[in-house]
Amino acid sequence: MSVSKELIEKTNSINQPRYGCSLGSLYTATAIPRVIPITHCGPGCADKQFTATAFYNGFQGSGYGGGAVSPSVNASEKEVVFGGTERLTELISASIKIMDADLFVVLTGCIADLVGDDVPSVVAQFQAKGVPIVYAETGGFKGNNYTGHELVTKAIIDQYVGDYDGPKEKKLVNVWSSVPYIDTFWRGDLEEIKRVLEGIGLKVNILFGHESKGVEEWKTIPKAEFNLVLSPWVGLDTAKHLEKKYNQPFLHIPVIPIGAQETSNFLHRVGTFAKISPKKIENFIKKEEDYYYYYLEGFADFYSEYWWGLPAKFGVVSNSAYNLALTKFLVNQLGLIPGRQIITENPPEEYQEFIREQYTHIADDVSTTVDFIEDGYTIGQELLKTDFGHKSPLLFATTWDRDVAKQLNGGILEISFPASYEVVINRANVGYRGALSLLEKIYTTAISRSA
Amino acid sequence: MSKILNLKTPVVESREQRLGTIVNWEGKASELVKASAYSSGGCGSGSGCGLCELNSPFTQGSVCSEQMVECQAGHVREAVLIQHSPIGCAAGQVAYNSLYRNGLRNRNKPVENIRVISTNLQEKDMVFGGVDKLRQSILDAWTRYKPKAIFIGSSCATAIIGDDIDSTASELTDELGIPVIPMHCEGFRSKHWSTGFDSTQHGILRQIVNRNPKKQEDLVNVINLWGSDVFTPLLAELNLRVNYVIDLATVDDLAQMSEAACTIGFCNTLSSYLATGLEQEFGVPEVKAPMPYGFAGTDAWLREIGKVTHREELVEKYIAKKHAEVKPKIEELKKKLKGLRGFSATGSAYSHGLISVLRELGVESNGSLVFHHDPIYDSGDPRQDSLAHLVDNYGDVQSFNVSNRQQYQFYGLLKKFKPDFIMIRHNGLAPLASRVGIPAVPLGDEHLAVGYDGMIHIAEIILDVIAHTKFHKNLAAHVKLPYTKWWLAQDDPYILSKKPELIYQD
Repeated sequence: MSVSKELIEKTNSINQPRYGCSLGSLYTATAIPRVIPITHCGPGCADKQFTATAFYNGFQGSGYGGGAVSPSVNASEKEVVFGGTERLTELISASIKIMDADLFVVLTGCIADLVGDDVPSVVAQFQAKGVPIVYAETGGFKGNNYTGHELVTKAIIDQYVGDYDGPKEKKLVNVWSSVPYIDTFWRGDLEEIKRVLEGIGLKVNILFGHESKGVEEWKTIPKAEFNLVLSPWVGLDTAKHLEKKYNQPFLHIPVIPIGAQETSNFLHRVGTFAKISPKKIENFIKKEEDYYYYYLEGFADFYSEYWWGLPAKFGVVSNSAYNLALTKFLVNQLGLIPGRQIITENPPEEYQEFIREQYTHIADDVSTTVDFIEDGYTIGQELLKTDFGHKSPLLFATTWDRDVAKQLNGGILEISFPASYEVVINRANVGYRGALSLLEKIYTTAISRSA
Repeated sequence: MSKILNLKTPVVESREQRLGTIVNWEGKASELVKASAYSSGGCGSGSGCGLCELNSPFTQGSVCSEQMVECQAGHVREAVLIQHSPIGCAAGQVAYNSLYRNGLRNRNKPVENIRVISTNLQEKDMVFGGVDKLRQSILDAWTRYKPKAIFIGSSCATAIIGDDIDSTASELTDELGIPVIPMHCEGFRSKHWSTGFDSTQHGILRQIVNRNPKKQEDLVNVINLWGSDVFTPLLAELNLRVNYVIDLATVDDLAQMSEAACTIGFCNTLSSYLATGLEQEFGVPEVKAPMPYGFAGTDAWLREIGKVTHREELVEKYIAKKHAEVKPKIEELKKKLKGLRGFSATGSAYSHGLISVLRELGVESNGSLVFHHDPIYDSGDPRQDSLAHLVDNYGDVQSFNVSNRQQYQFYGLLKKFKPDFIMIRHNGLAPLASRVGIPAVPLGDEHLAVGYDGMIHIAEIILDVIAHTKFHKNLAAHVKLPYTKWWLAQDDPYILSKKPELIYQD
């Protein structure tokens, strides 16, 4: 394990960005069925976030309310000089008439936040009339998709779901995990997480994607017995907020489980926390493991005697959630050797030590390190300096890292933003089922290079 | 020639200032030709033409000038583009990287990532200004890549806080000894993104083009994007060489533009500013002719190139040869295309060309949509009035719509014209067409439609795409559109412009 100590001096510069801005979380809104964002920003902002996040990132598509559908102020000089509240008021009125949505989410961009438009007042007028609408201040200089995501979730909770002091519903859990769209495989991953949690007898508010029941499901958030934060840090803010707001405890599991071992452990932890009977948990795990190991046995022939060599060392360049989850899986369940781990989404300072710590005990006998780097040029230089040993490495990375992978004569799987040479529909990489399709993808990538 | 373009200051004049550009209008193509008053100097000349723009209380997300700067300045090889902005603008790098990589591959050049750096401004920079970070990023660009030129694109945020990018650029031009070029392209400054093309071209004209040119009499500037290399074989027939600019060109390719015999393009929307500027500043003639689409356009375009480069005989030989070669093929293809109805929904001048091609192929196209309309192009020469050329040679277009990627308006047009396919370049409209059962011909390779062979290419792609109809029809039967029943029932896509009060009625 050789990690270069001399990182290139960090400046403000970022090339090859690994995230968009807070406004990119308009795709948090569109990920909820029948929710439509209204963007109060310049003419190109929403298009940039769309093409980056939802198109050239797995070609996930605009969905119901994204892409060229989302209403936008398209602010001009007039809105900059005189303010944009009048124009926003008009646009909201028109949107209600033209767009068929259960909830509108107004998101502000740099212009509105800089000229100081009083968006809360504009939106409050509509809320007072009973229009389902909320706002989030997501000016691009305030953060990225990951922090923006929680601005939107909290906006919907505070301004739409509202107060609640009624009874809790037994076994109901709110899941805060993948961030829609920016996390390329969020749809398949969330479906698998929901499936396995339901398998042990929980009722699951998955909140985003096809398996969410939309705003009706969001309205039941306060009734949940607890919140599950399944990610190194995204979702913690929301869960802490809900703890205060609705007196809901939360369980934080930083590792999204991939493969039978990790997923079974995960289900034990969640099941125990939720006071599910051990028998019920065991029954489901047994059924799933039967299925998983039937297929893993088939794979074992290839894995043990493929003649032409398989990769031994790997690097992961991705957001923290996938970085940690993949590293755990590859080390513990495939026996691969970690070569380089780089986390790219700039997690808030207060979580970085906690995340670093996770890498010190990846397995009983494996400890490794992780770097936090956002700038693509620096990432490239660091990868080139890394000693991946005598064989070609396998990189779990992004489109930006394709050229470096070539230089290292390695294979690459685009698993993090942006994945512009990957078509993703509902493929999952997590849980029991996702791990099997991930194995297919990893080794198809590896051996398609043999000849 | 009198000075048309003001190249004295770093700030480009927007399209609406120079050309009277509009983004929302409906009517017949012939009416738009008349209202644009091209022959009397265009709308922008203050001659009092009758071109009234429609405004709507409802708008969907559009596209900005800075994106066009990314797709031009960001795609110059051996240069670096600095986006002086918060990180959100840098999200554009993702899309433009994909286009750049695929474009390089398409042109058989080594594939690499784009070299674009964001200054990544934070909240405190909005208060204290971001020029120090701009300087740092320029130095980073220099250390990392040793580029031959550095472009700086402004953003809405830095324009509002008033960062002086011009002074920083000028200081670093001196310090580094390479052109450091400020481009004022903040999205809010122009209602149409094509101002971004002009902003890049303005900077290149001012700071990169060689001011002491050594003439290359067989060199032709071809202003294009990432299209496949159809111009090299075409111009080789006339003993001419191609200098492709701006995308995928090197800084040296841009510098030598002043040495060329003439400048041509595939789309006036894209090439207007640069071609006019090269003529004004460096005496490189712009080929003033219709665009190279269909027989009429291509014939006239080639003849003008022949005249400007003194190759009239070669041109006539080539025209005769190609007519003989492609006409029988087109006749065959027309049989297969018979009865089809097409709808062009692309950028402005390009659409004028595409409709010509569709009509050459016998495909009905009485409706079309453009994202904006320039009443006149920078040269002011009536030979470049591409819309008039279309109407004069191929007849009127009954429903010629200007709509800046407003999908809600496009629905009404699809409902009215029920095309068998649409032709697109920019994103955003094809997804709607798909959801109502109509396939799209995406012309990512903008050169496919050019010239005589272009007609054959387009015919063949249409036939491929028509086969996709099965997919789209099936999808349409299973999806719900995000619009209210009230809007879907409207027959007039522009009703809100005429009766904005409708949005307040229950």
